Amino acid sequence: MCEANVYINRVSGEELLMEKVDRIVPGEDQSIFMENIFGERKVVKARIREMELVHHRVVLEEIREESHPVHEELWLEPSTDHGHFHEGEQVTLKLFKGYNMKPGPDTAFAGLKAFVVSSEGTRELNIHDHHGSYELVLGGENDGLLQVWAEESEGSSRRLASVLVEVGHHHHHGLKPAGLELEIFPTDYSHARMGESYEIKVLQHGQPLVGVEVRATFAGTQQKDYPHRMVTNEEGKARLFLTSRGNYLFSVSEGDLISTFTLVKSF
Amino acid sequence: MCKNMPPLELAIQFHGHICPGLLIGVRAAELAQKQLEVGQDSDEELVAIVENDNCSVDAIQSILGCTFGKGNLVFKDYGKNVYTIISRDSGRALRIAQKFGSTAGPASERFRELGGKPILTDEEAGEKETLIGEIFEKIMSMPAEDLFAWQEVVVELPQRASIRKTVRCDSCGEGVMETRASSRDGQILCPECQLK
Repeated sequence: MCEANVYINRVSGEELLMEKVDRIVPGEDQSIFMENIFGERKVVKARIREMELVHHRVVLEEIREESHPVHEELWLEPSTDHGHFHEGEQVTLKLFKGYNMKPGPDTAFAGLKAFVVSSEGTRELNIHDHHGSYELVLGGENDGLLQVWAEESEGSSRRLASVLVEVGHHHHHGLKPAGLELEIFPTDYSHARMGESYEIKVLQHGQPLVGVEVRATFAGTQQKDYPHRMVTNEEGKARLFLTSRGNYLFSVSEGDLISTFTLVKSF
Repeated sequence: MCKNMPPLELAIQFHGHICPGLLIGVRAAELAQKQLEVGQDSDEELVAIVENDNCSVDAIQSILGCTFGKGNLVFKDYGKNVYTIISRDSGRALRIAQKFGSTAGPASERFRELGGKPILTDEEAGEKETLIGEIFEKIMSMPAEDLFAWQEVVVELPQRASIRKTVRCDSCGEGVMETRASSRDGQILCPECQLK
């Protein structure tokens, strides 16, 4: 056998992991290092399940990481690649369930509702299920800032997800919290840039929640758990220095309720 | 993109990733803009003399517009994080030097150590992400006085880049800038063919 294709068995089925591998080195920490003839390298947590030398084929079995003892949370992300929509453009948002901005295996929702607050008032939104992928479609909205939230009740667990959606540019004015039971709200919407601090406020029924832990993460983090944890001060505020591109997610828990806020950045 | 890109984003898009060296360049470029009251170069109003060829120079190019292609980026191979930015319009020049050890610390050491590894485990990749976050905040939040020493200096203004005639190399047939070609045995040769 000169070189082999390496496959891995995951929960979702077998998939090709690397082609033309000519070196495999098992590590002491249940990791397997591999290198192919093109010089590409990979390390995976797995064990060797089968080596079919005649067929130039090695099959690995994935070692699954222990799941974190945390509740799943909801979060919303606008379907735009540059942080905002333009007036009249169809505004859509995706709804996710998981942890640390990583969607989990559970795609079922119970008692799900979604709402938007715009200059025209509050209205309930239709939620579309595209084969397990949930989407909120608002339609063509007027220039301004929209507050969107979704809520789910599953037994004693309740989840809230909120986001501010910018339609048009340069809206820095007059935003008020939506008055959710547990809400994370930016203290100054105009400043959301990488390389600067961003401040949020945690409110419970509109009142500042003091001394509560706020988790923060960002899209594409390589950490298994939330990379940032802060505690709200006597005004219910917490501050985070933004060091990553893309969207951030803030999350707070109080009893059986978990509430998230997605910070949408243009850059 | 319909929103103005912040300087930091300009640098990251140009360079391709975030790293400590790039952030040093971002701070130096922004300091030069503030002190010299200039923006981004359009057509050689600014000149940058850089004394290294590390990541920071990509921030100088993308934010100040002093680029290799325009000819208003002058490289001196001294291996020093020193940047002299010149404004042709005002005649002012600012020399910015990173203070020795200003960004040193355990996080930088460990980041450098991980950067030297050809491949990282998941845990190390996560650690590296945490470290760059810490270093990022430190460099971008640090008072300029702690990061750099700077002073206005008098420098001879470099000539503006000039466009030269292209001639044909008699050996390889390719075009070569007239001032880089030479004549040997009655033939015009490009530098490469002169070495054959």
